[in-house]
Parts: sequence; structure tokens; C-alpha cells
Amino acid sequence: MQRFNNDQVSAAIWLALGTIICLAALGYDLGTLASPGTGFMPFLAGLAMVLFSAIGLGYGTLRRKQGTGWKPTLRGLRWDKSLLVLTALFTYIFLLPPLGFSLCTALFIGFLLKAVKPQKWSVVVSGSILTALGAYGVFELWLKAQLPKGPWGF
Amino acid sequence: MGFQVALQPGNLLFCFIGVLIGTLVGVLPGLGPVAAISLLLPTTFHVTPVSAVIMLAGIYYGAMYGGSTTSILVNIPGEAASVVTCLDGYQMARHGRAGPALGIAAFGSFIAGTLGVLGLMLIAPPLAEMGLKFGPPEYFALMTLGLTILTFLASGPMWKALLMAAFGLFLGCIGMDTLMGAPRFTWDIIELSDGIGLVPVVMGLFGISEVLLNVEKSMERSVFETKIKNLLPDLRDWADSIFAILRGTVIGFFLGVLPGGGAVISAFVSYAVEKKISPYPEKFGTGMIPGVAGPEAANNAATGGAFIPLLTLGIPANAVMAILLGAMMIHGMQPGPMLVKEHPDLFWGAVTSMYLGNVMLLVLNLPLIGLWVKILKVPYPILFPLILLFCLIGCYSLNNSIVEVLIMVIFGFIGYLFKKFEYEGAPLVLALVLGPMMETALRRSLLLSAGDPMIFLTRPIAAGLMLVSFFLLLYPLIPRLGKRRTILPPEKKED
Repeated sequence: MQRFNNDQVSAAIWLALGTIICLAALGYDLGTLASPGTGFMPFLAGLAMVLFSAIGLGYGTLRRKQGTGWKPTLRGLRWDKSLLVLTALFTYIFLLPPLGFSLCTALFIGFLLKAVKPQKWSVVVSGSILTALGAYGVFELWLKAQLPKGPWGF
Repeated sequence: MGFQVALQPGNLLFCFIGVLIGTLVGVLPGLGPVAAISLLLPTTFHVTPVSAVIMLAGIYYGAMYGGSTTSILVNIPGEAASVVTCLDGYQMARHGRAGPALGIAAFGSFIAGTLGVLGLMLIAPPLAEMGLKFGPPEYFALMTLGLTILTFLASGPMWKALLMAAFGLFLGCIGMDTLMGAPRFTWDIIELSDGIGLVPVVMGLFGISEVLLNVEKSMERSVFETKIKNLLPDLRDWADSIFAILRGTVIGFFLGVLPGGGAVISAFVSYAVEKKISPYPEKFGTGMIPGVAGPEAANNAATGGAFIPLLTLGIPANAVMAILLGAMMIHGMQPGPMLVKEHPDLFWGAVTSMYLGNVMLLVLNLPLIGLWVKILKVPYPILFPLILLFCLIGCYSLNNSIVEVLIMVIFGFIGYLFKKFEYEGAPLVLALVLGPMMETALRRSLLLSAGDPMIFLTRPIAAGLMLVSFFLLLYPLIPRLGKRRTILPPEKKED
């Protein structure tokens, strides 16, 4: 990775993605210029991505030659915290239907309050319960948001 | 008619709720007007379309007002358009002049917002008439220009912004091809047959990703501890600021009208102008009041200007307008040249409510500054779980769809990666919104011309717009004209 800089790496990924999009769009009817088909616009968009990422790859390569190397994106940062938050988000989504909104929300808030920048247990417990109750009251009862209900009916 | 609609008690209440929430959102770093409008969109489903638009519009310009408070007191922009206010506003606070800074920001915003509304009232109806002459080639050319302007003014290399726009155009293709009725890139997922929703994308790209970035860093922020006094600017402050306010108003209004323009660009251009014409440019950044007055006026005037292409041509000028467009369509409205004729109550009611909203904001902002400061002191480790929860609930409640929440979180991670690799989300969002309309306009234009692409260059209005777009695309390649001026900051948070 040290041989390439950030722009080269990202542009290469976009180039691959743009190519995939163009190939996938060919699977739909491109039509003709006089009667563009379903695949026309995605193909154009993919082609534009290929073009601009190729420019980016050239730009990145030029900068590499001028000495611009890989710029660390995570150095000195607590990236484990953002990974924790992301994991919590995905877990919330998958547990929401079976557990229901209120329990899932309480667990979610409690986890974030304790795991990311640990708060006292009193804050964690009261915060998670009050937030879940408050959110239920506002969104379910007042705004009628029809949030998922767990096996306990809330 | 406008005042009859806007002064109805229900609409006044929604205007007040909108500006209050907007100010709160603007004050809190981490949640911008785009995310706020997205979150609150579902709450408007139970009210009339007029009330919904009034409230959502109130949130937008309320956020402009509120953003200046955190910029001045905490040196963190409350929302993207207040980035510039940090430069001189915080310095004024450090020198014991937080009161005049906050005061001139509020008054400047009020004056600019009011003049912006007047401009909207004068320009919108004739522009709507002109819009009736627009055909598919003109619409396609105008939207191309809008995307090009945004990519031109973005920070960083232009190829990155263009790449984002192209990706946004692709994302806009996901779902049903409206002309042929065929699904595209849906992979048999029912929720994707309506396309990738704008709300999950923007909440992910700008809301979730911002939280992911913030939790990596120290979450401490210090609110400038000072007794805030003398909120009313004195004569000297007015003398130093009034022309900056008027210039900022003109700059903001016209930049706000352009698709791709908006409050952020307006604020930066205004700051650059004030610094350029000042007899003391070297003092900018040390606490110059025109450096606060001009940009704050510009970003508020831009909100009024931004409504013009939305209401008259049905083209959103920026991401916030794009969401408002979505809101209006959800309520069965079709913004465009016929809106003034078919729904004059909506049009004039929304315009008049902006004026009333500006009055409410002036009344709210100054006396409630103490409250906003208290809210700013809520520790971020306590605040961010609530922000995430609002995003999750807001996204879910749109269509009761877990898939959309998943899309939001995925785009949250994508937005996080974008920021790490210095890609901007704004061109993607604008392209996502404009993409389906651009495709329809492009395909209809080609059908009209039997496949001849020269239709975009033979019709005068379309040709003019396309030529400007080409010029902006080629501008960075012209050696002597040198580096493209970057107006937008590296992205922190969008509107």
C-alpha cells in the first residue's frame, strides 16, 4: 500500500466500480440515440465514472511521482470507537424486528453510553431507560410512527 | 393571499416550531438542516401540505441563524454555512465582543432574510412564466449547469467532485425506469423498486458519518466562557457592518438561486469579497465584524434565493431543496411553473411565512442565547447516541422499512470513507436528486430530435447553459487562469 497514495487507491477502486456498472448496464437495453433504452443512463453514468477515475488515477500517479505518498487515515484516532458505533448500528437493525423498538433502543443507548466513552452506570441505566421511554412516547404515541413491537407488545 | 395563509394560527404555530427546531439544529454541531429536515419529514405527513412546507422551510433558515451561535462561542460551525463565521466571530468572542458578534449575526441575518424574501416575491412569478417556455433540452442543460457549478466550486480536485456526481447519477438510476416501466439494479429487493431514497442517503452520508468521525476524536469541546453582554450592536458596529450586510444579501440571493449554489458557497464568496475590498484585509481572521456580518447575511439571503428554482422550475438548488422537493411531492404537489397558478396558497403562504419566520428568529435568537449556550454544554458522549437514535427512527418511520435503515447505515459507512479519502457528498446528493429528472429530460430531448445531440446546442437557452457548463469544466485546464478557486471548505456537514 505504501507504493501508492490515497488518490491512486481510491481512483482504482472507482475505476473498477465504474467498469462493473458499465458492464451491468449492457445487460439492460441501451437502445439507440434516437430511442434511448433502460440501460442508457446507467451506462453513461458508469462511463463517466470510468473517465473521471482514470483522470484521478493519472492525477494520483503524478502526485506520487512528486512525492505525495500514502496519508494514514486512522493514525492517532480511536477508530475502534467508530467501529463499535457501526457494529452497534448494524446490530440494532438486525435485532429491531425480533426484540421490538423499546427494548432494542434501551440496549442500544446503554451500549453506546458505556462502550464508547464510558459513563457511570447510573447514567447508563437511567439514560437508556428514559431515552427508550421518551422515544416511545414521542414517536409511537404522539407521532404514531408504528415502530416495530417485540414479543412484549412494545 | 400570502398573509391570509401564513397568519392562520395553525400555520403560525408550524412556522414557530420549524424555526425553533431549526435554530436548535443549527446550534448543535453534528446535525445539519439536511438531517433535521429528513428526520422531521415524517412528522409532516399528518398536516396539510402548506403547513408542512412552512415548517420545513422554517427549519432550513432557522438552522442558518442557529449555526452562527456555535461558530462564535465554540469555534465549531453549527452547520456548514457557518464555517466562515468561525474565522472572525470566535476571535471577537475571545476579545470580549461575543455580544456584538452574536447581535450583528442575528440582525444581519434578519435583514438579509427579509430582503431575500422580497426578492423571491419579485423574481419568482416572472421566472415561473419563463419556465413555461422550458422544454426538455432546457431542463437538461440547466440541471447540467447546476451539477457543474457545484463540482466547480467544491474543494479538492474537480475530478473527485465529478466522480461523485457521476456516482450519484448512477444511484438515481436504481429502481424503476419511469419511461419504460422496467426495473433496474433492484436485485429483486422490493424496497429498491422505488429507487434509493434520498433521506436514507443524506442521513447516512451527513448524519451517521459525522458521528463516526467525531467519536474517533476527543469529544471534549469548550464553550467560550464569557458573560455575554451588549447584544445590540452600537453605532460603530452598524457603520462597519451595514454595507457588508447589503453586499452579502445580494451575493447570497443570486448564488442561492443558481442550482448548485447555496448558503455555503454564498458565505465563502461574501467573506472573500469583504476581505478583498476592506482597507485592512490583513486584520480578517482577528475579529473583524464585517467578516461576520457579510457571510451571515449571505447565507440567509441564499435560503430565500434557493426557493426560487424550486418553486418556479421544480429544480432543487441544493440538497435541502431536494428534500423539500421530495416533501412536496409526497404531499401531492408538483413544484414547477404551474405551482403559482395551481397552488397559489402554497406558493404565497410559503413566501409570506418566510418573512414571519425571520421576525420570529430575531425574537428567538437574541433572548434565547443563554439557553442555546446551555444546550451546547451537553457533553457529546451523551448527545451522539440521541443523534443516532433520531436518525434511525426518522429513517424507519418514512416507510416502516428496515431496508432503508440498513441503506442509511451503509451510506453512513460510505460517507465515513468518503471523508477519509477526501471525497465530498454534496455533488452525489444533488446528482441523486437531479438524476432521474435529467434522465427523463435527456431521453425526451433525444426522442424529440430523433437522436441528434445537437439539440442541446441549437436551442438558444439550452445552448447558453451548456456553454457555461463546458467552460466551467474546461476552466481548470487553462494554464494561465491557474488554479481553480476553491470556495467550499473541506466538507464538515451539509445542507
